[in-house]
Amino acid sequence: MAAKSSSDFDSGRAESNEANSKWLDAHYDPMANIHTFSSCLALADLHGDGEYKLVVGDLGPGGQNPYLKVLKGATVLTESPLPSLPAAAATFLMEQHEPRTPALALASGPCVYVYKNLRPYFKFNLPQLPPNPLEQDLWDQAKEDRIDPLTLKEMLESIREKAEIPLSVQSLRFLQLELSEMESFVNQNKSKTIKRQTVITTMTTLKKNLADEDAISCLVLGTENKGLLIIDPEAFTILAEMDIPSVPVFLEASGQFDVEFQLAAACRNGTIYILKRDSKHPKYSIELSAQPVGLVQVHKILVIGSTQDSLHGFTHKGKKLWTVQMPAAILTMNLLEHRSRSLQAVMVGLANTEVRIYRDKVLLNVIRTPDTVTSLCFGRYGREDNTLIMTTRGGGLIIKILKRTAVFVEGTGEVGSPPAQAMKLNVPRKTRLYVDQTLREREAGTGMHQIFQTDLYLLHLRAARAYVQALESSLSPMSVTAREPLKLHAVVQGLGPTFKLTLHLQNTSTARPVLGLLVCFLYDEALYALPRAFFKVPLLVPGLNYPLETFVQSLSSKGTSDIIRVLVLREGQGVPQLSAHISMPVSEGLMAA
Amino acid sequence: MGLLDRLSGLLGLRKKEVHVLCLGLDNSGKTTIINKLKPSNAQSQDIVPTIGFSIEKFKSSSLSFTVFDMSGQGRYRNLWEHYYKEGQAIIFVIDSSDKLRMVVAKEELDTLLNHPDIKHRRIPILFFANKMDLRDAVTSVKVSQLLCLENIKDKPWHICASDAIKGEGLQEGVDWLQDQIQGAKT
Ligand SMILES: Nc1nc2c(ncn2[C@@H]2O[C@H](COP(=O)(O)OP(=O)(O)OP(=O)(O)O)[C@@H](O)[C@H]2O)c(=O)[nH]1
Ligand SMILES: [Mg+2]
Repeated sequence: MAAKSSSDFDSGRAESNEANSKWLDAHYDPMANIHTFSSCLALADLHGDGEYKLVVGDLGPGGQNPYLKVLKGATVLTESPLPSLPAAAATFLMEQHEPRTPALALASGPCVYVYKNLRPYFKFNLPQLPPNPLEQDLWDQAKEDRIDPLTLKEMLESIREKAEIPLSVQSLRFLQLELSEMESFVNQNKSKTIKRQTVITTMTTLKKNLADEDAISCLVLGTENKGLLIIDPEAFTILAEMDIPSVPVFLEASGQFDVEFQLAAACRNGTIYILKRDSKHPKYSIELSAQPVGLVQVHKILVIGSTQDSLHGFTHKGKKLWTVQMPAAILTMNLLEHRSRSLQAVMVGLANTEVRIYRDKVLLNVIRTPDTVTSLCFGRYGREDNTLIMTTRGGGLIIKILKRTAVFVEGTGEVGSPPAQAMKLNVPRKTRLYVDQTLREREAGTGMHQIFQTDLYLLHLRAARAYVQALESSLSPMSVTAREPLKLHAVVQGLGPTFKLTLHLQNTSTARPVLGLLVCFLYDEALYALPRAFFKVPLLVPGLNYPLETFVQSLSSKGTSDIIRVLVLREGQGVPQLSAHISMPVSEGLMAA
Repeated sequence: MGLLDRLSGLLGLRKKEVHVLCLGLDNSGKTTIINKLKPSNAQSQDIVPTIGFSIEKFKSSSLSFTVFDMSGQGRYRNLWEHYYKEGQAIIFVIDSSDKLRMVVAKEELDTLLNHPDIKHRRIPILFFANKMDLRDAVTSVKVSQLLCLENIKDKPWHICASDAIKGEGLQEGVDWLQDQIQGAKT
């Protein structure tokens, strides 16, 4: 509860209100008719004229009418229909020589369409996969008319349910048909060889051999077939292929293909797999307790949004660094890179029409939008370096420009660690002694530990021995002999020279009364005088507390005090049942006199 | 100013010198405009984005202008304010076809107008709504609306539509500026 209210307070401070907003509203068109996700947005200087364009893989309203759109400023420059829904868009440099205008790659279905200067340049197809032999067999039979469409349908359905290898598109399409359409479909398609091809689910770029901003990059594809492919940017051949245990949905790549690289793939099974160069299989994995909704790499940290409305930070080795809870469901995420201030942060589009910007778990800024944002990207657009582009659920386009003077002040939206944690402590310098000691500890660590252990065992032993001795000589105020469970407790009252000594004796057995006990006091007769140093104890009924009172007269005039020993004895036995040492207080009455 | 200077100034032998700041976003056409105002034999052929700033000179019928052609790139814009004190007039250039960055131009203009070295001075400001020739350029009326120029009450200002490549609209602006400067002195 406390945490919630504090985060509300902080978000209030980080929020951009009209007057001191960090953003300039450059453009808002609620009817721009752009329906897309962050993965299908890309910014690049496609014409090499210094004017950066926005590439949109548009799914169309309701995912019906996919288009590739290129925007300049607020206007659509070109648009061309796509054969199937886009999965991802990326821009990359494909060759060394001038002019170094970036190419555009659009992943859609089993293909990557590559455009140069906005003209189609190359179409990369995913390799064919071996079809299911059973399925192949069925279609072969259909070809020879040995099987009727209805049986074919039944058989294919049983394959679909059980088989490891999924069906081809042809079979899947066939299974959707009405009875009347089947016959003609079979006749049309029976002589075609069945093809099985997977589709691309995600795509990103990876530098080939240089880390420079304008170095050539490979394409990295994730497929529905639980695979990752790295594609050469010049020859469009497959450079590397990797398998992962689930279907990748978000990909992040870092490093260089020829040197050392790292891929992080967030998958549908709620796990993020991390792969390195030379590893055909995941090296690390991060298991989320929910499905991932976004993956962004910020500096060396993987930031993952989950369906549990939270943002997690992980290292590349899968160690969890932090978690922040969002006020609403996460719809989309992307990286905000503010080069001139060397800031990297994560932008998160939320279902409550907020876009939040986090640097690690620190909230830097909140932008409220008129509609829920479904895709966002930040970067150079037109001629402005720090432009934020957002598209909304209703198909709107929002463009904001970060003010030149805006700074994301740390701490204005703080929800993370309290400021005290960052305060530097005045730790004293390491002394010579300390250093020597540390060195000695490092060298002789084993020996030290052994000595410590020996001493510890000896201590245990000595304690145990003393305990046993105490039990044997009944020196304790508790008797544990099963026959006579007794408890003794002594209280001294008064200031002196006369004290009242009360012994509380209790029979702790459940049922058996105790009879025939004697109490005896042992004391220095030069110091104390007791009226009765030896007396009989009445019958002790179980559970009751018997206070036995006696007076003690202090004889010393020098204010010395001593111990009085109380022994509880049993008639006819030499060894005491119980004993107690009573430290007598100094007689104050006498001292005053 | 020495007596001789003043004399020659009065006699029109030597033109009076004025310092002008040329401001505006990068790629708006500042350098191109100033280049066009220079005598044709002094014009340079290719214009590259200005780094930092450059000092240019040109003359009108009665004045000699020394122009600080500032770079409009974001990272150099913080240099502008260091020259505000010396400037006796401002030329503010806007790319009329860059609708997206009109807000940025407005933001920079507002910052300029609120700067302590400018705020309380009656410094004349000439706006060029440049690149009028481009298809997606907006009119100078629209530009002055987008920049809320009507809110400038305490300074003389004027907006001209211009095409710096052909040199259209530039002379009108310079004539206005000259009138303002001379009017202020007399
Ligand atoms: N079509 C057209 N292009 C123009 C016009 N004025 C300038 N340009 C072009 O705009 C580009 C930028 O012009 P510059 O004069 O370098 O712009 P600037 O304002 O000095 O830019 P910075 O020095 O970077 O601040 C050049 O390619 C010019 O040719 C114009 O009126 N019409
Ligand atoms: Mg210039």
